[in-house]
Amino acid sequence: MKRLRSLLATVTWCVVAVAAAGTPDRGPGVADTVVVTFQERNGPLFVDWPKPKVVLAITGELDGYIEPCGCTGKENQKGGLSRRQNFLKAMQAAGWPVVAVDLGGQVKRFGKQTEAKFQSIVDGLRGMRYAAVGFGPADLRLPSEELVAAVAPIGDQPTPYLSANVGLLGLDANITPRFRVVEAGGLKIGITTVLGDEEAAKIRNDDIEVVPAEKALVPVAAELAKVGCDHQLLLAWAKPEEAKALAAKFRQFDIVAAAGGADEPPRELPVLPGGAQLVELGHKGMFAVVIGFFDDGSTPVRSQRVPLDARWGEADDMIALLATYQQKLETLGLDGLGLVPIRHPSGRRFAGSAACQECHAEAYEVWAGSGHAKALTTLSDARPRRDADPECLSCHVVGWAPQRFEPFEGGFTGMVKTPHLAHQGCENCHGPAAAHTAVERGDVRATEVERDRLRAEVAISLDTPEAKEKVVNNCLECHDLDNSPQFDFDEYWPSVTH
Amino acid sequence: MKSRGPGAWLVSAVAAAAGIAVGACGAALQATLTPWRIGDLAPVLRAIPPDAPRVEVAEPRHEFGTMGMGTGKSHRFEIRNTGGGPLTLTRGGTSCSCTLSQFESAGSEAADSKQVVPVGESAFVTLTWTGKPPGGFIRQHATILTDDPRRPEVSLVVEGMVVPTWRADPSPIVLPRINASSKQRASTTVFTYGAQPPRVKGLTIDHPQAPRFFSLASAPLAAEQIAAEPGATGGFRIDVDVEPGLPFGRLRQTITTMFEIPEEVTAEITIEGAVGGDLVLVGAGWDSSRQTLELGNVSSRVGMKTRIFLSARGPHRESVRPTVEERVPESLEVTVGEGSAVGSGAVMRFPIDIVIPAGSRPANHVCSQEVPAGRIVLATGHPDEPRLSIPVCVVIGP
Repeated sequence: MKRLRSLLATVTWCVVAVAAAGTPDRGPGVADTVVVTFQERNGPLFVDWPKPKVVLAITGELDGYIEPCGCTGKENQKGGLSRRQNFLKAMQAAGWPVVAVDLGGQVKRFGKQTEAKFQSIVDGLRGMRYAAVGFGPADLRLPSEELVAAVAPIGDQPTPYLSANVGLLGLDANITPRFRVVEAGGLKIGITTVLGDEEAAKIRNDDIEVVPAEKALVPVAAELAKVGCDHQLLLAWAKPEEAKALAAKFRQFDIVAAAGGADEPPRELPVLPGGAQLVELGHKGMFAVVIGFFDDGSTPVRSQRVPLDARWGEADDMIALLATYQQKLETLGLDGLGLVPIRHPSGRRFAGSAACQECHAEAYEVWAGSGHAKALTTLSDARPRRDADPECLSCHVVGWAPQRFEPFEGGFTGMVKTPHLAHQGCENCHGPAAAHTAVERGDVRATEVERDRLRAEVAISLDTPEAKEKVVNNCLECHDLDNSPQFDFDEYWPSVTH
Repeated sequence: MKSRGPGAWLVSAVAAAAGIAVGACGAALQATLTPWRIGDLAPVLRAIPPDAPRVEVAEPRHEFGTMGMGTGKSHRFEIRNTGGGPLTLTRGGTSCSCTLSQFESAGSEAADSKQVVPVGESAFVTLTWTGKPPGGFIRQHATILTDDPRRPEVSLVVEGMVVPTWRADPSPIVLPRINASSKQRASTTVFTYGAQPPRVKGLTIDHPQAPRFFSLASAPLAAEQIAAEPGATGGFRIDVDVEPGLPFGRLRQTITTMFEIPEEVTAEITIEGAVGGDLVLVGAGWDSSRQTLELGNVSSRVGMKTRIFLSARGPHRESVRPTVEERVPESLEVTVGEGSAVGSGAVMRFPIDIVIPAGSRPANHVCSQEVPAGRIVLATGHPDEPRLSIPVCVVIGP
């Protein structure tokens, strides 16, 4: 009996080991149906790949999308650190030695929320054991105290950041190294990063020293050449043309990554005249690009564009990191985040959707039955909850500037003080209506002319192309490409028409 | 009875058997999950029968060029069957928000997501993209599935540049640290895409004391700058001079510019930054929100060391000479290094090495209401900020 048990244990061990060495195609626990759905939608992965000696997993241009916006179903969108973590783990579980590197560009905005987000993202990259991370221009627009606090080595833990030409507090402060040589799968891979000159010229941060990319690469390339690397990787935060020019001058780099290309990377890597493969990553961290090196004379290098879609599932530790980030936003509050209400372009104030109900009962009913009337609930019900996140709130409450992520004067500030402005209410389309409702209720006296003027202010029309364009443009403030990619006004309008 | 591990022969045999079995299962599963679509090995290895279809797309990639925001552009791709048997095409997925038409045969208005293309004939499919904010370089694709054993899927790609009415670069304008005692300049470039070059009619900033703290100016761009921006028909540069004296804290203002191209456009560009003093601490462990140095729990057996920096800017930066005046707990060893200019020299940097030697006496400065912070006090040499007290949160334990 014991012998049988031993045999079964052996079989199980073998099966697990062999299964673990398969091709990575999903995150843990993700069902076959999900995998098939996303294979059909976004393509299969690693087809015909034998086990590589080592893979480079290249990411970048996260642009602040620590997770994809879930407004229209997160499963329909790509990106996020959580899926990225599972994707990297899936490759490791398959027995592939993984070297994860990131081009940079973790954030795109400025301010306290961006600082908190940057810190969380860098914590996430450290957790995912990135071997190299570069600087994007928006990263370098953060105040240096925040940047250095997030990036600098912590005790004996080295920083994943490196740059040939960017020095926080000066290159000779040596807060980040200029290059790194990583050994994995029996191969030596030399890695460095640069910020392209065009982007560097726009940085206005006296705490940061940036030298021209080409000049900075000369000594770094010489050092890398001495080490005898099997492969050399240049992560260049530069437009493809600038990156190509660097690749032409430093032909020792066989992989060159560029920034600022199209919104999604090409399926196949272009090969540059010197033989280097040019990597584009797309925007918002929706894709990773994997380059595998093989013991295969006919195909020593393969590449795969990997969409970070729902087939990778969610990683618990990255969800915990997101929760911590959201808690920090809640603790800081709108004041702590430095969000001072701005004046609405009309100068008017908000009344709240309930104030419209008395006279516009039918329209109110339509609204109350629509998704707009539950907009804030979707944030408070989310796990982790996002109802303290200005980047989410701006399209889920009344009285915010959607693309500026900040409140108008008299707009929603929280459920305690402004519960009447919760959800995506009437005034986000019709405009602030406090004066109009006050006059109609008789709280304020007004002449007939004045009353009609106030009515006209909140009336919207689809009768002419110009009027319709104005309405559609207002919708696009929230139903933008990120959050509502399928939005088509004529298709959506019937569900809220009134 | 003593339990024994499996013999080497058994492990090898079972592993080999399991490997074959799992390999076969894996292959079968792979085939189930991705039938035909993955360029799977089996069809490639099989001899291609002479009556097999062959898919050919002469131009699978189409360049739209520049296109306006909200404007749709379409391209009709021709998919030809050059094989020996009928070719079956099926509409696959598209990337974000791209519209793929139904198939149409040559000379017909077809409407199906599946189409059989006779030998020597073609089917057509149209890919449409409508430019949406924020614009920029787009690359979208659609997938067509085929029963050509050599090419189970075809990817049709459209690329282009979606141009808005106008675009500012950089936007927002960010000045990470606005020094309260010095003048600073920031700039942005506005590209326009209208029928004529822009005629700037107004330039304002929404600060309550705008005339005192800000001066704005615009100037047309040189022709080569405009030519370098795809689709741009004109542009101008905005320079913002920020005068000294702004109150400390966050700055976020809106610059509004009105121009004609020939329609009248009102463009808003944000300028933001943080106004601060001349002396700033920077480094791992420095919590700028709490204004404390977080050293955490330190074992007196091991000790610790860290480095932070004092950066000095403004007109008095050259006179800054930090020296240590006070340390609490006294076991903190603090050394201030020589100053060095950063980059262009607008900032001086002083390294501050902090060491808690092994064998230090236990100390509790956990930074709670009951247990206050320790501190490092520096004499700075700066005429307006002569002393700098750095609260230190640290617990030195066994």
